[in-house]
Amino acid sequence: MNDFPSPHTVKQQLQACRSKEETFKALVALSKRLPRLSDEEKTDENQVKGCESAVWLIVEGSAEQRYFKADSDAKLMRGVLVAIISLITGKTQQAIQEMDLKTELAELNLSSYLTSSRTNGVLSILARLQA
Amino acid sequence: MAFDSYTLRNQFPILQQTAYDYPLAYLDNAATTQKPLLVLDAIQDYYRSFNANVHRGAHFLSDRATNHFEQARERVANFINAPENSHVIWSKGTTEAINMVAYGLEHLLEKDDEILITSLEHHANLVPWQQLAFRTGARLRVLPLTSNGEWEPEYQKYFTDRTRIFAATQVSNAIGVRTPLQTMINEAKQYNAFTLVDGAQAVAHYPVDVQAIDCDFYVFSGHKMYGPTGIGVLYGKSQALDVLLPYQTGGEMVRHVAYQATEFNILPYRLEAGTPHIDGAIGLAAACEFLAQQDRVALLDWEQKLANHVYTRLRKEGGIEIYSPEHETTLVSLSVPNIHTIDLNAYLDSKGVAVRAGSHCAHPLMAQLGVSGTLRASFACYNTLEEADQFCDVLLEAIEILADE
Repeated sequence: MNDFPSPHTVKQQLQACRSKEETFKALVALSKRLPRLSDEEKTDENQVKGCESAVWLIVEGSAEQRYFKADSDAKLMRGVLVAIISLITGKTQQAIQEMDLKTELAELNLSSYLTSSRTNGVLSILARLQA
Repeated sequence: MAFDSYTLRNQFPILQQTAYDYPLAYLDNAATTQKPLLVLDAIQDYYRSFNANVHRGAHFLSDRATNHFEQARERVANFINAPENSHVIWSKGTTEAINMVAYGLEHLLEKDDEILITSLEHHANLVPWQQLAFRTGARLRVLPLTSNGEWEPEYQKYFTDRTRIFAATQVSNAIGVRTPLQTMINEAKQYNAFTLVDGAQAVAHYPVDVQAIDCDFYVFSGHKMYGPTGIGVLYGKSQALDVLLPYQTGGEMVRHVAYQATEFNILPYRLEAGTPHIDGAIGLAAACEFLAQQDRVALLDWEQKLANHVYTRLRKEGGIEIYSPEHETTLVSLSVPNIHTIDLNAYLDSKGVAVRAGSHCAHPLMAQLGVSGTLRASFACYNTLEEADQFCDVLLEAIEILADE
């Protein structure tokens, strides 16, 4: 995932957004940086339940250095996945577990994606990443 | 113009606001409608002037509360043309009313009896029957209706001598189509089945006459017809209500209680355990009053005009699948190939347009349509042509932004 934006770039792009509309457009732009999964990788086991859109998540690497692959059938969700993964990719399992991802995402203007409503499963994604 | 939605809007304080600096276009009315001043004032007046428990203490406030509460029942009975006030039972909403019937009829069902529903049902008019079938060994059968609300040619084979219950919606919440209700009810009655009509999506738009429909049960929610949440109605014919076992027991629904046995109260109280939702009933009666003050024909005409306006504009664009009918509906349900409805929804929201994306609590119907969900814009009397256009304009922008290059 060499083409993956750095956390710094993601922060810059999302924190510059002055409205919900701008955040929407920034997430659409970010979504294009997420390599898509193959159909074979979109298994039931890899699917994160609790999302209105379908979300798949694959954890790779070792506890010393974690990498993630993910996909969704919704574009905004792919943008959100890019933001989340940029924050944690390459870190140790323990470092990821100790992060306050909810707060970090809120600082990226993504709080409206963190509600536990039925339209959003970001919390289930975070739960799986930090398990 | 005979009907003016701009004037009517002034009666809805919540609509006088912006969302993220855009005009708020509330087009999620099939989920819940906003409330007019008449309803808001009635609820506040109850708490400010005559709050007390009903049917209990003989004192000044309690008498006033009881009078208003029973007048509310009468108002609602008139609204649906029920022959007697006692045929109107309060519930939390449509879902609870259906459950009251599903549990109340359980003692009459035997193994291999059949419960028939249609393929256009909301989960609320499906799951309670499915679970009743599981509990009793009865069979749940599904009468297939096309997405135009038409019969499959061989429909008659679904009605049999074992059909004990027939439950159908009057209007589909997901795609806005009207079912051939009267024909279905008449057919079901030939087999002496209990008939239940889910009127949740109908009452705000179409005048309802339960005696003309001639169903055993008619159920609806207050909050989808300009009334408060948490209150709904189970209407039943007296002989149908009489055979229902109480779904809940406790205070209010009894005449005499001893440790050995309890004598239940008469209708409607027999089916209303506990302190009722008094302000809800009063608010719902005010909502009936609000609708009674309007020219219902003009209201429906306007709502259908708005839906048709959106249908016509979007049909011209191409690349948009529309699942609701062109005419005689008050909502537009659609999807765009290769674009997720929740992405469309998020963009619409960011520009002040409130709609609903998803399966609309109708998974089997979505499967029938071959989609995972739709985007639904649903209209009420206070919506304007500008809002219908705002929806179309922002939707087309969203499609442009979200389309894969």
